[in-house]
Amino acid sequence: MEHFALWVAAFLTLGIISFLYKDNPWYKVTEAIFVGISAGYWVVVLFWDNFYGKFWVGKDNDSMLYVGGLLGLLMLMRLIPKIGWISRWPLAFIVGATSGLWMMNYFASNIMVQIQGTIVPLFSANFGEGMNAGYSTVIGNLVIFIGTFTGLVYFFFSKEHKGVYGVGARVGIFFLMITFGAAFGYTVMSRMSLLIGRLDFLFGDWLGMIK
Amino acid sequence: MSTRIKEIISMVIITAFVVVFYFGKINGWESIEFSATVSYICILLLLLALLWVLVLTLRGQLIGRRVVFLFVGISVTIPLFMSLEQKINVSPEVRSIYDTVIALPPGSRVLVSFDFDPPTAPELQPMAETFLQLCFERDLKVIIMGLWPQGPQQANLALEKVLDLDVIKEKNLQYGIDYVNLGFQTGNEFVIQRMGSSFKSMFNTDYRGTPYDDIPLVKNIKNFSNIDYSFNLSAGFPGTIEWVQIAVDRYGLLLSTGSTAVQAPQVYPYLNAGQLNGILGGMNGAAEFEKVTGFKGKGTKYMLSQSFSHIIVIAFIFIGNVAFFRSGRKSLLKR
Amino acid sequence: MKFILSLFSIIFLFVNISSQDNPESFPFVDSSKITIAPPTSVIAEDFKYDNAEKLSITWIPSIDDQIGDNNKVKGYKIYRITDGGQPELIAEILPGSNNYLDEGLEENIWYSYFVSSISDNFEARSNTTESVTPKREWLNFDLKFLFLIALIISSSVIYYIRHASKGKKLFVRKIAGLEAVDDAIGRATEMGRPILFIPGIHDMDDVQTLAAITILGNVARQIADYDTKIRMPVSRSLVMTAARETIKAAYQTAGRPDAYSDDMVNYITDEQFGYVAAVDGIMVREKPATIFLLGAFFAESLILAETGNSIGAIQIAGTARPAQLPFFIAACDFTLIGEELFAASAYLSGEPKMLGSLKGQDIGKGIAMAAIVVGVLSATFGEIWDVQFLLDIKQYLLQFFTVR
Repeated sequence: MEHFALWVAAFLTLGIISFLYKDNPWYKVTEAIFVGISAGYWVVVLFWDNFYGKFWVGKDNDSMLYVGGLLGLLMLMRLIPKIGWISRWPLAFIVGATSGLWMMNYFASNIMVQIQGTIVPLFSANFGEGMNAGYSTVIGNLVIFIGTFTGLVYFFFSKEHKGVYGVGARVGIFFLMITFGAAFGYTVMSRMSLLIGRLDFLFGDWLGMIK
Repeated sequence: MSTRIKEIISMVIITAFVVVFYFGKINGWESIEFSATVSYICILLLLLALLWVLVLTLRGQLIGRRVVFLFVGISVTIPLFMSLEQKINVSPEVRSIYDTVIALPPGSRVLVSFDFDPPTAPELQPMAETFLQLCFERDLKVIIMGLWPQGPQQANLALEKVLDLDVIKEKNLQYGIDYVNLGFQTGNEFVIQRMGSSFKSMFNTDYRGTPYDDIPLVKNIKNFSNIDYSFNLSAGFPGTIEWVQIAVDRYGLLLSTGSTAVQAPQVYPYLNAGQLNGILGGMNGAAEFEKVTGFKGKGTKYMLSQSFSHIIVIAFIFIGNVAFFRSGRKSLLKR
Repeated sequence: MKFILSLFSIIFLFVNISSQDNPESFPFVDSSKITIAPPTSVIAEDFKYDNAEKLSITWIPSIDDQIGDNNKVKGYKIYRITDGGQPELIAEILPGSNNYLDEGLEENIWYSYFVSSISDNFEARSNTTESVTPKREWLNFDLKFLFLIALIISSSVIYYIRHASKGKKLFVRKIAGLEAVDDAIGRATEMGRPILFIPGIHDMDDVQTLAAITILGNVARQIADYDTKIRMPVSRSLVMTAARETIKAAYQTAGRPDAYSDDMVNYITDEQFGYVAAVDGIMVREKPATIFLLGAFFAESLILAETGNSIGAIQIAGTARPAQLPFFIAACDFTLIGEELFAASAYLSGEPKMLGSLKGQDIGKGIAMAAIVVGVLSATFGEIWDVQFLLDIKQYLLQFFTVR
């Protein structure tokens, strides 16, 4: 059984990789298997973990689950065109509830705390002993301040990017592009990691060529 | 020879290669490991090949994308056979995690959230294994959970590997007393929100179906205030950002994260603002963590392939720019 | 007789006074014990803004608790009495401490405490505090500044929405990439090839998906006019129904309801890479002339953008996920960076709610910019010139933006 599983995994891996050469029946079969299994997997997970695991098992202990169940049922009204408008209510509940929850989380963590973290002195006698320790902190704080401020300038939509303001926005976009470049590099590393993992499986677990 | 025949011959060669080595594996053939000399020869050949591509580009003969894919594939595969080791420097954000964990007294409760699935396992699984090994060696109590369905399954794979180590076997760890897997819970960030009041309300039973109150390790744990440290392995949503926004900023949980390299740049602001104790970013972070803990795992093993692939990417960015400027110059000369 | 009686009284009085200093000790003091004074003024009170599970215990350390190696006090033991029961040792803490936070308590249960200072072989107990129970407050006043900021930004959003609803024009700067939308749709029409619209892989609860659906409405109106084909594979069922409604409404507005078909939008799978594999297949097989990648994307962004690039399609992308922006910028012709996606949806729809929200958010950004500039300049010049007033401003701003 283990041999069969290894061969199936290797067959599917190579099928997807074959797309790099060109679209071919092998890739199409693998794609169809992947799409089908993933759809089926999510149906099973959502049924057993969501509907059964949360609602059916817990409904006798927590009456609020009936409210959730009712909202879920109303969502299915979408399937009946004449009363499909009813499904907008549970949708509004979902959008409203998550917006409300996220709004305060983002205000706190992504606005307040980040502004607090940006208020740093550009120079201080407390930056450390010696020239080198001091300069690295000065440059770091300068980058944080200018980058954050000009980034905010770029995303300010109420003013046209002209004159001095335009220069600030331009500096902001430079910082953004440098950030995107760093993020790109990090993501290349991430993608390579996935490829390394797959090749380790093929040459290690499947063919036994590497330890 | 037509393309079709070339394709068929290639398929036959690959199939033969696969069959030979698979049967070799079954018959107990030893794994292949290049000596240092062979490794350096491979590096030299790779560099010469890149140089050849550069020469072709300068001559105006642009190579196809499939050749680039081949270069990337070779640069990732060949180092897996090499016996060379990559030098790894430990960054402060990684060391911070290690220093905090070793300062925890034995018996401290550590919550580990597995918020990833098999596609991101090459990056996060080595982190998970190293972290669990460190916790068990320091006699910390580990509570595992997941906001992704496959998270707890990945946790079981990591536990299986770590508990099989001789140094951990000696400790004779008991499920339910030294570690527990509470399983997956649907609800994304709402799960974290509810855990702030009551763990039991979200995890009635553990992964095996044992009621919460029957598990010695967790029966006295009410919420985050009973947790001494938390480590989140995150591949996306829900993940580190949600844990920071809710568990850290609302409930004061001490949290560090092992993130995929894609997500790492987004969570660094939280480190700078003091909301995170430390970050393991991608495979590099995993390798650094292995270095600082002294446990050699897949993170370290893969770093050489990582470095080679990055050199190839940089080389092709350079070659691509050469081609771009060359074509620009040519059109300028034509005018 | 009187003299002997007085003498014994004096002796007894003297012994009584000495024994009151240390209630635990016997009248005849054991000189081998290192006697120390107990902590005083022990107070137990409710810890504010918690979940009714914490009590804070504070005390004045023992007068024998001194810094240095010769400190007689080795630490403090904290005891808890639950509902008048037996004392229970709950913590031992280091010398020099003057507070302890007892956690994991229960509401409506009454607790009292006493604290003992300990030496190598002696324990001096304090008085027991009054009974207290953990309480839950209605409001957390520690977050008053967070509330204030949220109030200011929300109020400005509401104000500008009302302003826009009255028909007044709100200025939004030009967004690069929006001008390309019309050209891209025209290109697809001329080439007779379909437009592929990918609204990301998140559900309708994500604002990026909502923004993408809004832009879809604008795109669908043009498509309905030009009779261009549109193909929209989605990974969430709710998005499918919302998208179908949007496109159907666009066709009805264009007076061509018969040209609409439900097959324009189809559900693939919730699974991320299964969806990507299917969309890649659609791109390679159907070769759309224009691809819109608008919404929330994750790891699949580069795969989609690169495949679209390889088939020669014109690609307009937009996402608020910073991790995916580099790939769209590298592989797509036009990219809406971060908030530009929301600005674009507001700009194209012209809806007062969206325009008002955009302007209201700009107020928030203005506050952030002002706070950062004032804070950094105060911190810098306060440190350089050692001006206390400037350092106070910096400190006040730091406290203002604290949430924990």
